[in-house]
Amino acid sequence: MQSPHQQNQINGTVTDGTNPLTGVTISIKGKRNSTVSSDFNGQYILSATATDTLLVSFIGFKTAIVPISGRKIVNVQLQEDITSLQEVRVNAGYYTVKESERTGSIAKISSKDIEKQPVTNILAAMQGRMAGVSITQETGVPGGGFNINIRGVNSLRTDGNAPLYIIDGVPYSSDPISYRQTSTTIPGESNPLNSINPSDIENLEILKDADATAIYGSRGANGVVLITTKKGKAGVTSFTINTSHATGTVTRMLDMMNTQQYLKMRRQAFANDGITTYPSNAYDVNGRWDQNRYTDWQKELTGGTADILSMQGTVSGGSEQTRFLLSGNYRTESTVFPGDFLYKKGGAHLSLDHKSESNKFRISFSGGYTAQKNDLPWTDLTLLSRNLAPNAPALYDAQGNLNWENSTWQNPLSNLEGKNRSETYDLVASTLMTFQLAKGIEFKSSFGFTDLSSDASRTAPSTMYNPAYNYGSEYSSIFKNTLGRQSWIVEPQLNWHSAFGRSEIDVLLGSTFQNQQTKTRIEEASGFTSNSLIYDLTSASYLSVESDEMLVYKYQAFYGRFNYTFSNKYILNLTGRRDGSSRFGPGKQFANFGAIGAAWLFYREKWIENNVSFLSFGKLRGSYGTTGNDQIGDYQFLDTYSSSGYEYQGVHGLQPLRLYNPNFGWETNKKLEAAFELGFLKDRVMLTTAWYQNRSSNQLVGLPLPGTTGFTTIQSNLDATVQNNGLEITLRTINIQKPNFNWTTSFNLSVAKNKLLSFPGLEGSPYKNDYVIGQPITIRKLFHSTGINPQTGIYEFADINGDGQISYADDRETVRNFSPKYFGGLHNQFTYKGWQLDFLFQFVKQLNFNFASTQGYAGTFRNQPAEIVNSWTQPGDNAQYQIYTSGVNQEAMQASEYYAESDAAVSDASYIRLKNISLSYDLPQEWLKIMHCKISLQAQNIFTITSYKGADPEFREAGFLPPLRIVSAGFQFTF
Amino acid sequence: MNQEIYIFVKRNKTMLFSAWLVALCGILFSCDSFVDTDQPNSQLTSSAVFESKATAEAAMTDIYAQIRENGIITGKLSGIGNLMGNYSDELIAYETGSYSSEPFYNNSILASNALISSMWNSAYNQIYAANAVINGVDNSIALAVADKSQLKGEALFVRALNHFYLVNIFGDVPYVATTDYKANSVATRMTTIEVYNKVIADLKVAIDLLPQDYVSANRVRPNKATAQALLARVYLYTGAWSEASNMASAVLNNESLYVWDENLDNIFLKESTTTIWQLAPAYEGHNTEEGMVFIFSSGPPPTVALTNELMSSFTAGDLRKSHWTLAVTDGTDTWYHAFKYKEKTDTGATTEYSIIFRLAEQYLIRAEARAQQGDLIGAKEDLNKIRHTAGLTDTSADNASDIVDAIIKERRLEFFTEHGQRFFDLKRTGKLDAVIGNKLGWNSSDSLWPLPQSELQVNPYLKPQNPGY
Repeated sequence: MQSPHQQNQINGTVTDGTNPLTGVTISIKGKRNSTVSSDFNGQYILSATATDTLLVSFIGFKTAIVPISGRKIVNVQLQEDITSLQEVRVNAGYYTVKESERTGSIAKISSKDIEKQPVTNILAAMQGRMAGVSITQETGVPGGGFNINIRGVNSLRTDGNAPLYIIDGVPYSSDPISYRQTSTTIPGESNPLNSINPSDIENLEILKDADATAIYGSRGANGVVLITTKKGKAGVTSFTINTSHATGTVTRMLDMMNTQQYLKMRRQAFANDGITTYPSNAYDVNGRWDQNRYTDWQKELTGGTADILSMQGTVSGGSEQTRFLLSGNYRTESTVFPGDFLYKKGGAHLSLDHKSESNKFRISFSGGYTAQKNDLPWTDLTLLSRNLAPNAPALYDAQGNLNWENSTWQNPLSNLEGKNRSETYDLVASTLMTFQLAKGIEFKSSFGFTDLSSDASRTAPSTMYNPAYNYGSEYSSIFKNTLGRQSWIVEPQLNWHSAFGRSEIDVLLGSTFQNQQTKTRIEEASGFTSNSLIYDLTSASYLSVESDEMLVYKYQAFYGRFNYTFSNKYILNLTGRRDGSSRFGPGKQFANFGAIGAAWLFYREKWIENNVSFLSFGKLRGSYGTTGNDQIGDYQFLDTYSSSGYEYQGVHGLQPLRLYNPNFGWETNKKLEAAFELGFLKDRVMLTTAWYQNRSSNQLVGLPLPGTTGFTTIQSNLDATVQNNGLEITLRTINIQKPNFNWTTSFNLSVAKNKLLSFPGLEGSPYKNDYVIGQPITIRKLFHSTGINPQTGIYEFADINGDGQISYADDRETVRNFSPKYFGGLHNQFTYKGWQLDFLFQFVKQLNFNFASTQGYAGTFRNQPAEIVNSWTQPGDNAQYQIYTSGVNQEAMQASEYYAESDAAVSDASYIRLKNISLSYDLPQEWLKIMHCKISLQAQNIFTITSYKGADPEFREAGFLPPLRIVSAGFQFTF
Repeated sequence: MNQEIYIFVKRNKTMLFSAWLVALCGILFSCDSFVDTDQPNSQLTSSAVFESKATAEAAMTDIYAQIRENGIITGKLSGIGNLMGNYSDELIAYETGSYSSEPFYNNSILASNALISSMWNSAYNQIYAANAVINGVDNSIALAVADKSQLKGEALFVRALNHFYLVNIFGDVPYVATTDYKANSVATRMTTIEVYNKVIADLKVAIDLLPQDYVSANRVRPNKATAQALLARVYLYTGAWSEASNMASAVLNNESLYVWDENLDNIFLKESTTTIWQLAPAYEGHNTEEGMVFIFSSGPPPTVALTNELMSSFTAGDLRKSHWTLAVTDGTDTWYHAFKYKEKTDTGATTEYSIIFRLAEQYLIRAEARAQQGDLIGAKEDLNKIRHTAGLTDTSADNASDIVDAIIKERRLEFFTEHGQRFFDLKRTGKLDAVIGNKLGWNSSDSLWPLPQSELQVNPYLKPQNPGY
């Protein structure tokens, strides 16, 4: 007989009924430091006595209490606990809050959803999954950017709508790092989140309303994106290897004219213009080019397949006191363009956590380093592929050299000689120390550091030019942009928690000191002794430093939170912040922000509990507060001269840098929200409905100015107010919950409205032609197309002011709104034994410009969409498109430009897209004893249902490569 | 409830003490100076710029660099030397697309044309910079009087020069004489006569302020004669014949600086003694943008070539045809390019600067002004000076009107591809429709270019747009 107090080795397996569960916490009731966790096989080992009781807990499952009762092998089957999702703590930045008790509006996506998608940028993984968050991809070129709007566009300034990004507590600047001359292939700004490896992310939260964002004060106006990276789990050390291979192709091509249609158009155009002898430079029709040749240039130049390889390894483990996680990843992506171009990204992530035996001192460190190298052609070939005449010559001559067809064209492949290269190295490190001073009182401080360096260049070697021109390397040139940005942040905080009677209080006081320093240098060099020395600026015969500057941004704040909970049912949350920013002039630097939020957990009221039994959760919450925005760039309030980058007689010129206004100040954003959260049938149905209204006033804008002022813009506050309001609905249902089969559905819908509430003096301002009071700020004022004059064959438009002529300034009164009316996603997940199938439909209801806005005048030396064949040829024709012109019919050309800015150039661009499919299979444990293996097939942008007259409806940047369809296969091994 | 609060305070003494500590820390660190930043190391305050001669001169000469790179009269494809050459009858465009010379060649430019808006914006940007120099110099304490005069004279000259081109290209335009953006953002169109009056007033002050001699080598900064040369042209364009004649004489009489040269191959060299004002190159070894743009070595031409009309208007023996143009052939076809500037690429030392004002123009201005005033002998004397240099005999014209016609014809052959002289001559003499009316895209209203559409959109007071756009 054993003594009841003798320690025995106990082991067993924890499963969910089908699969083993990894990382489950197993501890012995009443014994400290007894915790272990299950390994990848769900197995655990611990020492206990025969009479001990095990507590087995895991997120998402009900905690099991299992008496050992003298057994040596204790297998545990956990029950999934849906209600417990309400118990999960949500990151609110400076504090965390239980999902059920939060007073603010916070949307969340976790690694479970992220890892199902074959994407490079986390923002791509969020598309269609979060209510109120509209994300569009700006290009299908690797390393490109995304545009994100959280609850609409608040600022009239187009570059002032980026959210605040925070990675493990460290603000990550979204200030651009690219320079237009060295970022010619990627439109807009490259997104800072390219530096974060999606698979290193554990959770991503988006703070939307005042209650959640006011604690970020001046930087919360456009919402806050909080990223928490993965941390190690105590228990057996586990190794995970992920590898995948994917291919990417263009989703939709534009249907262009073939040679026959094109030449017919050209000949008709000259006939229309009364030209009988084709001009000497009309090579396509004047006989210089083969009239029977046909090339599908879209296929030739953008029809390739991008190869995407990715690999990641992770080691994690540790004890209850110290946990660690170390991961490394490497990824390469090629392009759909011809030629060898590659985007490479590699990184490492380390997370360390330690707590003292007494639990009074905790420290955690998280660091990530990412290197990106992008090698692209100097221009996106998409627009070119839609402009080239279909009978343009062959790319190569008989000898395999680039064919220049006797100097009659610019061979499109010559663009591949020019390179747009960039290297970006990025370090984000943060440490958080927490001391428990006394019961309920914690002092903590975070220390963060970021270091980014980027080197970008664009080369134009002489080999890009027609060899007949005899351009040697003395014609080769390069633009170079070097940027370094360091920032540090220190945020000491004090937290206090107390419960007395039926009350609970949480208080947080903190301050922030942040300093960011950016150094940039832009150089231009030309005239090289050899093209192979083009990256060596010392070999250039001409070198000009266009700018070399250091920008300092300093930021300081005090913030606090007071949270009071009464009787577990009534919650009041007050937050506030006082902010100072160096971006404003003396006397304008400081401003106060604050919010009040409240929640009522009415399902805990006795009368509900007793009478409405099907209601398992019920909460009413609301908030109101102010946030601000300081995204305006540094030093805008100074009246200064700087070097122009030009020389005159060997002297570097000084030029006035800007028109200056020392008086601009903070933009304020008032946010109001009310929401209703309900759970039915033991939370198998969860419904959240939120209504919000944000008003942005004292708009800080780069006021557009006429050229007569010498500049095109000045920083200034406008007495205009912009309102965003909307409704967000999220619904999650567990349709089937069986031991071997689960089916859950999530649905989100956002209906958003934007409105310019007031703008005194709009009529006399530069914005007269952009905005209308009472309309959204995302509108465009357009001409109203009234069809084609049957006699002249030229487009006609409504003459609004009746002055007998059409003018941009006075006749564009037709308003079209380009922000989505509503958007959302529908996600379904099925699990059957080891199989898991996920698919996500994304839908958007919106308008967009169609091809008419980018294709120019039909009849000139460039190809047109096939639809344009239906054009006017003779009086009486009732055609859809106007008369062709070879480029001399000024009236028709002008009408074509009006048409491109008329309601006829806008069409429905709504779409439903199968955004993501993921199928994975966990190989049964018996097959591979030593490891756990998962196979997955994933695809992105699979198909799209749309009536859009253009290429990709998601896409707003006309003329650039649209997002790709990606199909991926991957393996995951854990051992 | 009171009881609860009491317990709360009692239990939480540590907390309250800590809160007090954090608050204290906050106050200690909260001095506003944390968010004060020093001025960035790459910027100088505007007032400091004008307290030193070196920086004040760098602010002034940068405007010349801007004119060279982006101005209306830049030698690049975006300057009027090329665009007006295409728009009139000097050049034919081989490049295609809306951001090229093609719409200019076709006389079918639209108000949205990006080359036009950038031309407009850069001209007013240079005017702003000139006004900033005028303000800075006026308020400067440390600058010497002579430097102040020189700089202010140059700035007034640049202001006048830009407005002169603007009024000729766009017709009625705002005359901007202040840096106040509030006033300038609601600028209205001023009549052509008013603009000219202001140009003349600025130039008169500039002539008073600028010294006779050049302050720098190679005639790259304007002197008194430069302002006089422009004023002579302004008087010619406005039909003030006697003033035009006198002003041209003022330049021509300055024989210590300006010496006539009979060798056509010397005229466009940087040492030319007939140059009144030229732009220094971007760097030593670089030659002109004009040379870069116009010269080509194989056909079809990559960008532009001289028109057959221009080539056939040279009479036999005109040395300008053999010295200032060059034929390129591929065996079947032949094209011609301007060859005034001989260097397309960099040379060890720069040999050619981009010339803005040269002596020949002053002779032809005086010739025309004299003819208009009935001084036929004086007119022919000046005209024949140019003809002789070109290897031609005396003009056969004998009455005022024929002499003026002969001068206009001579100007075409002398000034082709030089800053739109040809177009402006046809325009001011009312010959546009007659001479280039046969071009397919030409309309009578095309004598003015459109105001940039973007400009009309942001300044509701600038209306109306020019006719035909």
